[in-house]
Amino acid sequence: MKGKNQGVWIGEKDLTNDPSFIEISQQEFASLPEILGNEEAVEQVEGNRRDFLKMLGFGVGAAAMAASCDIPIKRAIPYTVKPDTIVPGVATYYASTYTNGSECESILVKTREGRPIKIEGNDLIGYGGTSARAQASVLSLYDTARYKNPMMNGGDSTWAEIDKKAIEVLASSNSVVLVTPSIFSPSLQKAIDAFTSKYNAKHVQYDTVSHSALLDATEKAFGLRAFPNYHFDKADVIVSFDADFLGNWGDSNKNSVDFISKRKIKTVSGAKMNRLYQVETHMSLTGSNADNRVLVKPSEQGAAIVALYNAVTGSSLPGGALNAKAKKAVSLMADDLKKASGKSLVVCGTNNEAEQMLVLAINNALGNIGNTMDMSDALMTFKGDDKAMMQLMNQMNSGSVDTIVLMDVNPAYDFSAGGKFSAALGKVKNKLAIAYSNNESVDGAMITAPSSHYLESWGDAQPNPSKYMLQQPAINTIFDTRQDAETLLTWAGVDYGGDIMNFVSNVFAENAFQNQSSSSNLKRYWETALHDGFVSVNTTSGASGFSGSASASGITKPVGGDGIELKIFEGALGNGANTNNPWLMEMPDPITRTSWGNYLAIPVEFDGFRKMISMNGLKDGDLVNVTVNGDKITVPVVQQFGQAPGTAALALGYGRTVAGACAQGVGVDMNPFVGMDASGNRSYSVSNIEISKKVGKEKDYSSVQYHHTYGVTDTDKATGKEINADEAALVTFDYGMGVQGYQGALKNRSVMYYSSLEELGESVAELKKRREHAQHLNDAQIYGGHDYKYNNGHHWGMHVDLTSCTGCSACTVACMAENNVPVVGKTEVARHHEMTWLRIDRYYYGELENPNTVYQPMMCQHCDNAPCENVCPVNATNHSSEGLNQMTYNRCVGTRYCANNCPYKVRRFNWLDYTTADIFPGNQPTLNGENTPFGADNLTRMVLNPDVTVRSRGVIEKCSFCVQRIQSGKLTAKLEGRKLRDSDVKTACQTACPTGAITFGDMNNKGGNLDSKLKNPLNFIVLEEVNVRSSVQYQMRVNNRNEKLDA
Amino acid sequence: MSAPVSAIREPLITGSKTYHQITEDLVSPTEKAPGLSWIIAFSVAAALATFGVFCIAWTIWFGIGSWHLNRTIGWGWDITNFVWWIGIGHAGTLISAILLLFRQKWRTGVNRAAEAMTIFAVLCAALFPGIHVGRAWVVFYFFPYPNTRGPLWPNFNSPLLWDLFAISTYFTVSLLFWYTGLVPDFATVRDRARGIRKKIYHFLSFGWNGSAKHWQRWESISLVLAGLATPLVLSVHTIVSFDFATSVIPGWHTTIFPPYFVAGAIFSGFAMVLTLMLITRKILKLEDYITLAHIESMNKVILVTGTIVGVAYLTELFIAWYSGYVYEQFAFFNRALGPYWWSYFGMMFCNVISPQFFWSRKIRRNIVWTFFLSIVVNIGMWFERFVIIATTLARDYLPSSWSFYKPSWVEIGIFTGTIGIFFVLYLLFVRVAPVVAIAEVKSILKSSGDQYSGANAHHHHEEAVSTDNH
Repeated sequence: MKGKNQGVWIGEKDLTNDPSFIEISQQEFASLPEILGNEEAVEQVEGNRRDFLKMLGFGVGAAAMAASCDIPIKRAIPYTVKPDTIVPGVATYYASTYTNGSECESILVKTREGRPIKIEGNDLIGYGGTSARAQASVLSLYDTARYKNPMMNGGDSTWAEIDKKAIEVLASSNSVVLVTPSIFSPSLQKAIDAFTSKYNAKHVQYDTVSHSALLDATEKAFGLRAFPNYHFDKADVIVSFDADFLGNWGDSNKNSVDFISKRKIKTVSGAKMNRLYQVETHMSLTGSNADNRVLVKPSEQGAAIVALYNAVTGSSLPGGALNAKAKKAVSLMADDLKKASGKSLVVCGTNNEAEQMLVLAINNALGNIGNTMDMSDALMTFKGDDKAMMQLMNQMNSGSVDTIVLMDVNPAYDFSAGGKFSAALGKVKNKLAIAYSNNESVDGAMITAPSSHYLESWGDAQPNPSKYMLQQPAINTIFDTRQDAETLLTWAGVDYGGDIMNFVSNVFAENAFQNQSSSSNLKRYWETALHDGFVSVNTTSGASGFSGSASASGITKPVGGDGIELKIFEGALGNGANTNNPWLMEMPDPITRTSWGNYLAIPVEFDGFRKMISMNGLKDGDLVNVTVNGDKITVPVVQQFGQAPGTAALALGYGRTVAGACAQGVGVDMNPFVGMDASGNRSYSVSNIEISKKVGKEKDYSSVQYHHTYGVTDTDKATGKEINADEAALVTFDYGMGVQGYQGALKNRSVMYYSSLEELGESVAELKKRREHAQHLNDAQIYGGHDYKYNNGHHWGMHVDLTSCTGCSACTVACMAENNVPVVGKTEVARHHEMTWLRIDRYYYGELENPNTVYQPMMCQHCDNAPCENVCPVNATNHSSEGLNQMTYNRCVGTRYCANNCPYKVRRFNWLDYTTADIFPGNQPTLNGENTPFGADNLTRMVLNPDVTVRSRGVIEKCSFCVQRIQSGKLTAKLEGRKLRDSDVKTACQTACPTGAITFGDMNNKGGNLDSKLKNPLNFIVLEEVNVRSSVQYQMRVNNRNEKLDA
Repeated sequence: MSAPVSAIREPLITGSKTYHQITEDLVSPTEKAPGLSWIIAFSVAAALATFGVFCIAWTIWFGIGSWHLNRTIGWGWDITNFVWWIGIGHAGTLISAILLLFRQKWRTGVNRAAEAMTIFAVLCAALFPGIHVGRAWVVFYFFPYPNTRGPLWPNFNSPLLWDLFAISTYFTVSLLFWYTGLVPDFATVRDRARGIRKKIYHFLSFGWNGSAKHWQRWESISLVLAGLATPLVLSVHTIVSFDFATSVIPGWHTTIFPPYFVAGAIFSGFAMVLTLMLITRKILKLEDYITLAHIESMNKVILVTGTIVGVAYLTELFIAWYSGYVYEQFAFFNRALGPYWWSYFGMMFCNVISPQFFWSRKIRRNIVWTFFLSIVVNIGMWFERFVIIATTLARDYLPSSWSFYKPSWVEIGIFTGTIGIFFVLYLLFVRVAPVVAIAEVKSILKSSGDQYSGANAHHHHEEAVSTDNH
């Protein structure tokens, strides 16, 4: 190499070929100055090894001290020993049972890294899906208002102390009363039995919204005080008197499944449907799904029932006056019912014993008992007894109750009795509370035993004698709480071995294992039950045959005159127990589309020219004074289509005064106005109320939908012709020209299609014509599109059956839970800043005063020619090769151009820092004046789904078709080395939907679930002519309207 | 570059000015202490601007949620103001570039101020795209440069990106044009100044010494820039209109938008020039340079463009009806008769009806009428953008999502803030630079110098009498 430069050089010495350098470079080990072995040399070096170590030690120490001053503590604790059941990043599901008051659903709990984050329906029970409240229940686990430790006289205490004190108090009391909701848990019942026998206590059960009249009637008719088991899947004709069986009445989740199972339409020819007549005052969820609604005032319900009884049985009981339309409707209904004897059903939601007895008699006359309703497997979730509660109140007032134990109830609020219950409660010497969080009744209790959440508890439920469900904890108790049965057993002095699971499994052995024949191995049977969440057992309720006698003597009597009648009803939120759940508070009411408060529903009329008018000229969001029985309340109004003339309606469940921050003072409390009828049952209507003129405007009118109709018709005063009244009403100012709106402005849109069963053939032909026209327009373009990209792999799509959608909103809540959708609060909702990725648009169609309803779940349509994608200046939203319209949050600048250009208006912008995800401190909005903003609270944030990014302020978000579920489904298929199946990927809305209205899948999977649904001739694409090539198809809403009622 | 002044044509500069007088008249405002009216006007403008900056800071801290936009109406006052300001910024370049190419000598009296107005208006406009986004701190994602994020490029399909290019190009060229014109005038100021002022103007005038070569190059560059700026006058608002025209929203998706927007922009630009000129000429006593003839010419432009805009409005209505497309039909029906009818009515009245007064020569030459109508047109053009943006979005395809919008105090504060910023800049401008292009004005005077004492003197006399009559 010497002297040669081969063109590779490292330093300039390579180039100059300095001989001394070459010499050194050829030695493998160059000689370095000898330092380490040479003491002198070491001393000459300015810094030696020890100094270096000193400096290092000081430097690192100083840096650590300086840096540690404001480094936040991160609460991430690694597992030193990995638990078997937890794999980071992989969800674990547990079967359990959701119970809340009288609600009971078999569910799966999704946990991630030991945290429950989502509720899913349990398919094994026969249908998937859950109610909206079950979906939201996981958030209440992380409720900031829940009790965190035992308390005595308002101060913090320990379990040992309060147990000692409680036992002392109970033992020294002469009369003890235990108040609970309806108990259908065998283990809890056993604990209660132990408690009541120990202290000779009286057990009183009541329901937040009373069904005691029906229970009293069944007790007389069948010898069993239980809620009948209705089989809506067997009924062809259903008449419902004010029973909101799809919303709140009975097992509403199962009712929905059964009812919709008779309304699925696959082909045009030979299509069949059941028919539902709803006789009611106020548009309920069930009423909105009815084929015909018959409007009656609350006081006319009795007369309507008697009229139907007379028409069906040929009797002539005296009922009282009924409006002419209803009278005619009743006879037509009777004809229909009689034709479907044994396959019909009459249900009644009024809390009047005589009326309930008449309805049972009608069912008996129609031969429905044993067919469409049965008592042998009756529903045991309602046991409330209003008379017992009234008796308790009187006893408390007379001072004969020493000690009251309130377990998971809030009677001072929901059994207000005009405020008298609360006063009576004050006269009880000792108030012991077993409660989840503070409320109007347990406030100031001597002893507060905090309850565990159902997701932290062992338990069981037997909603029907034949169904035994188990509840298992999905997380350890987060706070120092104890489940109810444990508390009762401890106070009763029962030694249950300290392990409540053993107690529950022993009860299971007695009640379930003994009553079945499928297994002889208890352990295996228990494990199967735990795995499945429920078992079927051979127990019956032991009811006798029908032996009731109908009489019209106790029915509600029509109130004459022009007085306005007020209907008090249970809305989507229930009666108070769920008010502190922000997901439910923010969920728009399916009917009124309002959230965060209750609104006085008042009827709407058309002025015959161009205006929708309501009583006293009131408009949406106006505040009025309502005088009920001399008491004045101020409420905002909402104009409600389909509200009976001369009536108004207001929901229960709001106006909480002692509750978590989210519920505090939102809306008005209607419980004090719930009265008692002659036979001692609560009655939910008040006559002769007064509604003032507008006294103000609600500050935040939190409605998510301003326009409610889709071509509702009424008579034009000038010409006498029928016109689309809502289209006429779209004119605000006509420059004095008398312009009456643009007819067809709404109806000629391709947003939504509906038909009656009779006209289905014509409607489908019309739909076909319109779709062909749209496709013809779309073909006339030079742009080729990029459909070719989606032919190879997956091409995701969705199908929504509008006939199957009841509007229950479970999907909306499920979507919020799955996708970390922020809750924004009343003020923000009022400004139309709600963040819901999936909303349910509700339109009324048909005649204006009594219209039909359609619900249209609306989410990102994942257009294959998406208008949002090409307008984004920074490519933050783009298209995947699988047809997904993707949102890249960290690329989004927030121009909102995409949202403007979205024809479906499904894109949501993070207007404020709802999630604490941006860099600016202290700019988060509160929901209802809470101390720590909801989105910033660490306890609440435990519910976040770790698979989904939490979006920061200033970015757009929208439905992703649950892309995290798609990814995990694809991964499952890949790991198992097979093709992806329909069951691998289901979106959150799809699994939440009890009635199967939503189907998600791969459009390229020929023969799959989705593919077969996409062939339905009733399908349409919303705004097809805009040519955005939506991936979501909707199936026309079909009703089975009896046109004779309108004639 | 000579402009013959015939006996039948009115002179462009009145008052029998000599070159020295012109210099005195136009440079003196930069040399004197400001008067009380200037100080008051500046204080008001600065206060508005300060509040505007506060509102912008508020927006960036709390988010766009401090505005009343919502899920349906994603753009409101922000983009309305943006388009409005951009439109106003059209007159300057039109006057300097297109009128230069068309040899319209009268432009010399107003081009400097108009160009300044353009630049300040575009600055105000450019503010809005920057602050209307949710995350103002990542706005640099818009810029196409090789980056370490992939590299990740912007979406060249998006009209918003075209907007960015169009506006920044327009701004750059307008600024260059304006500054080029200022160089010889700064030299004039420099020559009269002393001390630190002399140093500053020396720097600003780039060492201009008035040599023939300088003048020759100066004229060439002016012509080149005029050539470059001319297509920009048409392109900027065309591209702004694409923001709407390329969308799928009924009421936005229309092919008429580019010409309609350009006409509207010139219309509003001239109105704003008039508003400013009428004040400036009064306060700085420039009646001899900005004469009634100027005002009349500009009023004629307003009449023409206003009528073009009116035709465009009617065409839209006709096409909506003729299309047979229910969404389009309803969009226009709703604009005129829906909840925002007042803004449509305001637009029609201010933009179509009010300019028709200018058919009358008396009104065209009446200062008070002109000032009033120029304000009306400015308001009308603001309504036009509001109608197009907010009322269209408020009721589009899905009735379920229809909404309503009114601005929050923050949005109003930002809008008045931009007016404040605009006037702060304009008021500073009139104190530091000659408001009328001295060199160019002198060029007109020069050509008529030979006949100076004849026709001009006569005209001036007549003019003075007729002015007194008003």
